[in-house]
Formats: sequence, structure tokens, C-alpha cells
Amino acid sequence: MGVIRRTGSFVLKVNPILCDGFGHCHELAPELVDIDEWGYPIIKKDPTPFGNVRALQSARYAVRGCPRQALSIERVGDQP
Amino acid sequence: MTALTTPYLWYSTRATGIVALLLLTLVVFLGTFVANRIGGTIVGRFEINELHRSLSIVAVIFLALHIVTTVIDSYVATGWLSTVVPFASPYKTTQVAIGTIAFDLILAVWISSLLKVRIKNATWRFIHWFSWIAYITALVHAAMIGTDTKGTTGLAFVAFSAGAIVVAGLWRFFGRPTRAGGRTALSPLARAARPAAPSAKSANSPFPRDQRPTSKGRPRR
Repeated sequence: MGVIRRTGSFVLKVNPILCDGFGHCHELAPELVDIDEWGYPIIKKDPTPFGNVRALQSARYAVRGCPRQALSIERVGDQP
Repeated sequence: MTALTTPYLWYSTRATGIVALLLLTLVVFLGTFVANRIGGTIVGRFEINELHRSLSIVAVIFLALHIVTTVIDSYVATGWLSTVVPFASPYKTTQVAIGTIAFDLILAVWISSLLKVRIKNATWRFIHWFSWIAYITALVHAAMIGTDTKGTTGLAFVAFSAGAIVVAGLWRFFGRPTRAGGRTALSPLARAARPAAPSAKSANSPFPRDQRPTSKGRPRR
């Protein structure tokens, strides 16, 4: 109720159809995205808490910086 | 229109036109850098992308100044309608119309980029191809109507721009990398030692092994 809830966790999600392996997500959010040897992302699977503000900011930069709009932030767990 | 006939409006039109064309050349080149996966060592690829996005806004601002100073300069009659509707200018109808077409195309590219997160990526990409036509149209407009493109320096500038767009186009077409540009050496993770477990790593990859492109060969489209 008017309070930003920093509960719950998120994972980055990549749409493999859209991804063309630009590698921008890895540069913008190295703590969340590794790159395989072909340049495609290997997304960290463990959920990151929303309270980890720096990781969340990195994730937002990665989503915004993707030239193919292939990334999204997905909330996991914490369903009431 | 009020009688705004100081020569400074005309000077501004000429100057901002030249600067806008130069900036558009830069923006096209930076866009080619992004598409051809340049960067990742000294500068990040995302930095080139951000520069491409930011400089395009600067280019649009100069283009807006170029258009506004042209219209409010009452020495030549162009009219506000001619900024978006081709062949609406009584003054040098064809030459102004070519500039109008270039502006309309740039407007389409710009608006589609502002709406990038809301529209389908394929739509955005399709519209983004217009930027090549827009640049060529803008260059033709500059060569035909530009006061400063008549002398030696001006013609050299036009020739330079034409050469630049041809180089960028050829490079964009033939220098296309394979789909994936590979690991970039910028991030701290890239400098760290690679985990020595390729089998476990590929199990984590969202891409099944048989769907991965090889490191050689053309991108599959």
C-alpha cells in the first residue's frame, strides 16, 4: 500500500528466438549473465532477491540494453 | 509569418544542416558498429550502442533546428506544412520535398525506437532499415539545395558523406558476423578463469547443442 515491497526474487529470462548473441547483457549484468563460447547468454538460474538493488539495476540495464529486446525480468516464488 | 529576415536564420539553417548530416553519418557508422559486433575489448559493445542512441538524439535536435530555422526564415517561403508533407513548399518544391521525405523517414525511425519496448522487435528492425534510405535522401537533399555544397569544400563534404555511407553499407552487408559475436573481453567474468567443466556449462545453456550456430558460416535468418 504505497510502499515499495522489496520482497521476493527475480531471474532474468531470455527469449532464445529473439537472442542474436550481441553480448550486451553480459557486459551490463556480468553478475547475472555469463556468455558461452558462441556469445549466447547463460543466465544465472538461482533467483536474486529484489532487495539486491545493484543486481536489480544491472538487470534493468541489461533488459534496456538488449538490441533484440530478448530479455525480461521475471518474478519467481513469493506467490501469496 | 512575421518578417524574420535576419541573415542569421539562414546561416543557422546552413550550419545546422551540415552538422546534422555529419552527426547522421556518425550515427549510421555507430549503428553499423553495433550490428557488426564491434567492441568488447577497449570499449564495451553496450557503450557503442548507448553512444549510437545518444548521438541520434543530438542529430535529431540539430535536424529540428535546421527545419525550424528554415521555416521561420521568411526570406524563402516554405511553410510549416512542408516540414512533413512533401511537395508542399512553394520554394524549390522538389529539393525541399526530398529533405521532407528524409525527415519523415528519420521521424519513423526515431518514433519506432522510442517505442522499442512496446512494439515487436521485428517491426522495429524493419523500420530501422529506413535509416539507410533516409541518409541517402538527406544527402541528395544536401547536394541539391545546399548553399555550402557548391564550392570545392562543400563538394568534398558531399563526396566524403557519400563515400562514408557506401563504406558503411558494404561493411554492414559483407562484414556481418556470424550470429553470435563471441565472448567479449570487457567484463570481470571474462577476465576470470573459465570453469573447466564444458559439459556442465552447456547443460546450463538455454540453447540445445544442435540449435547452436557454428563459429563459422553465415547467420541463419
